Amino acid sequence: MKFVDEYRDAELGRAVAGEILATVEPGRHYKLMEVCGGHTHSIYRYGVDDLLPENVELVHGPGCPVCVIPMGRLDDAISLSHQPNVIFTCFGDMLRVPGSHGTLLDAKAEGADIRMVYSPLDALRMARENPDRDVIFFAIGFETTAPSTALTLKRAKAEGLTNFFCMCNHVMILPPLRALLESPDLRLDGFIGPGHVCTVVGARPFDFIPVDYNKPIVIAGFEPLDLLQAIQMILQQLKDGRCEVENQYARVVPTDGNLRALEVMSEVFALRPHFEWRGLGFISQSALKLSDAYADFDAELRYEVPGVRVADPKACQCGEVLKGVIKPWECKVFGSACTPEHAIGTCMVSPEGACAAYYNFGRFAREREVV
Amino acid sequence: MDSFVAPERCITCSDEGLPMRVTELPRADGIAICSDESGADQEVAVDLLEQVAVGDEILVHAGVAIAMACRPETGRRQERMTA
Repeated sequence: MKFVDEYRDAELGRAVAGEILATVEPGRHYKLMEVCGGHTHSIYRYGVDDLLPENVELVHGPGCPVCVIPMGRLDDAISLSHQPNVIFTCFGDMLRVPGSHGTLLDAKAEGADIRMVYSPLDALRMARENPDRDVIFFAIGFETTAPSTALTLKRAKAEGLTNFFCMCNHVMILPPLRALLESPDLRLDGFIGPGHVCTVVGARPFDFIPVDYNKPIVIAGFEPLDLLQAIQMILQQLKDGRCEVENQYARVVPTDGNLRALEVMSEVFALRPHFEWRGLGFISQSALKLSDAYADFDAELRYEVPGVRVADPKACQCGEVLKGVIKPWECKVFGSACTPEHAIGTCMVSPEGACAAYYNFGRFAREREVV
Repeated sequence: MDSFVAPERCITCSDEGLPMRVTELPRADGIAICSDESGADQEVAVDLLEQVAVGDEILVHAGVAIAMACRPETGRRQERMTA
């Protein structure tokens, strides 16, 4: 298929890997962060890191929307799912994320009417088809996903639906990036920018990374050649002494983003003063809630939720993994108590979580290395 | 042996973007028919794009088109990747 096959060409891949090798300076260690969970998944799935020189290290960032949901929000969601006469809808990955007393899947087994949807528009359809039930959509995701929720709510309002509600957990990628850059724990040389987020917000909002923090960032696509090329472009910037935002994913990312999507988002959402991120703590103005104009659709106003903050399990080191401080396999419970089948931490639940991606694909390469 | 089968992509949503081709223009409700990588037809909301035509390559996330592929501003480095 066009825009897919040409980005998986092995010969081109080898050529770009050769360019990377020619660009790095021997004796210098490079630490690059891929911000997006989709990149983490692609890196392990295609073995991109196997093609890199030993002195180029990839660090996984906080860009998996499932992984950053704190436990307390899951408890709130489970409480909503148990409300009488409610159909609770969410993306499939959320079903297995553990709250403090089980998962949404457990709640479903206990009798809650929880249904997996692929799109918020599916939840809206359920609301139309079940006028005597309240349908709640559990909205998660970065700026990539927020427009689909916003569009759905706009349609619900236009149709005059009074039984459709949203529990909004949409988050934004820039505030945690700034928090990471301020963190003394982590020293990074550059960033692989989140391509799909940028289709919505554009490349411009990332200017602060080179301007304020003197780090290069290259917005990248998700095929193996995209990632290899983006890594080469970052290394080239470092070699040339440049520091700027470059757009490797220009085939879909415009400089100014998707203005229509941004307009719908600004109508439907408002900034939360602060929001808790798993492993990163509370970050100011990093998440969205429904705007006053859409308050009638807010599930948290329609129903009471516990709203209790719950500390992460002690054994779980998702926080350090999300900040890139440790690698997935350095977590005490990785691959033993915590596996994709029985996840303790969120990073093991979503295929885009660093631990699950590494468990599913990367560990085999590492096992070969160790042997 | 593990019984868990690693999914191809995130099961539902997260940050995936699926390339699709528009095969039927949008109806009055903003839903267009598009074919995915496997050739299967999918219903996609295209309200967030300026204008779509049959044959357009789009990027779809959670049932909603968020970007049009192959922009005229495609950069110098990108061209090198084109087959």
